[in-house]
Amino acid sequence: MRRKTSLVLLALAVFFAALSPLLRWYAFPRLAKIPANQYQDMVLEAKNATLIDYGSMTAKKVPKITIVQTLKGNVEASEKIEKTAGKDVVVWDGLSYVVGPDGKMVSKIPERYIFDAHTQDPVHATGEMVDGTPVKREGIEFKWPFLTEKRDYQYFDAQARTSAPIHYKGTQDFRGVEVYYFEQTIPWTKVPFPKTMPVQGITPESIAKTGTTRWYTTVRRFWVEPLTGAPVYGEELHKEELRGGTLLGGRDKVTVFAGDVKMREDYIEHTVDLVKSNRTLVLLMTSYLPWGFLILGALLLSLSLYLEARGRRPKAAARTDAPEPVTA
Amino acid sequence: MRALIAAATGLALALALVLAVTALGSPTGKTSPEPLLTTVPAHP
Repeated sequence: MRRKTSLVLLALAVFFAALSPLLRWYAFPRLAKIPANQYQDMVLEAKNATLIDYGSMTAKKVPKITIVQTLKGNVEASEKIEKTAGKDVVVWDGLSYVVGPDGKMVSKIPERYIFDAHTQDPVHATGEMVDGTPVKREGIEFKWPFLTEKRDYQYFDAQARTSAPIHYKGTQDFRGVEVYYFEQTIPWTKVPFPKTMPVQGITPESIAKTGTTRWYTTVRRFWVEPLTGAPVYGEELHKEELRGGTLLGGRDKVTVFAGDVKMREDYIEHTVDLVKSNRTLVLLMTSYLPWGFLILGALLLSLSLYLEARGRRPKAAARTDAPEPVTA
Repeated sequence: MRALIAAATGLALALALVLAVTALGSPTGKTSPEPLLTTVPAHP
């Protein structure tokens, strides 16, 4: 009976010991993925910002500019791309909608971002765009990969429509969560006008005829929870200018927008709570369960060996306890 | 020999479980009916 039990315990010990690395290095990379149907919104604000008044073509101080950013997973589009890509793909249809202090639209930029659901590597397919213009992204956007590393990443800039390094600048504590701080500086760069302008009758084509160009610079900061790769907080020190041409009435440049864009407080709290709960799930797969199974496997193996040893002892003992044969 | 069979059984079960779970994956679901926002939401 003891020998049977020890064999069962041995099988269980091997089962749990094998499950430990399989879970961490085989199952986790295949199970951890961004859901194709994810929907999320984010509100960012720039208080005491500078905004152009298109009526007088002058920059004015405004109390607040609000940016509403929505990302919506397009399941039908992702399934279509998956057929040719041969991997799990996420298609995010996004909209950055900027609202002025009067509640009116300042700009709206739609995007389609296609990426690998597991690695966050970009996937190039028809439909990938920013403001209706096809783009070919390199690197990441919005989210870092699971198990983010302490290194620089290529980050796609939707305004410039190119990728540039976003630098790892250290580990910090953000409201009780250990985060990696990343920073990217985009120097003054000539960028296209948004296709939808806030004033009726003004189009990117009509501005182009005046010779006026749009320039932009930003310092982008992200605080990223490394296990989930999710930013828990973000800021942008953003400046835009119109330069040259006849539109400015002889002036060299006019500020279109200048402000320190930050996440709204209620969205910070919501994001931190969400990331904390997702972080526990990742920890379960990468640490708690693998280590737990390994320890359990070792305990079961010890118990199995102990029972096996106990099962053999009586016979050995019986042999040693037997009286020496006496010769007549 | 019996110990070897027991160990192999444990290993095979672990492999089978992990392969089955990863093959099943997770359901993709449906595209959210929520719109891309053009108004400022009051709360998350």
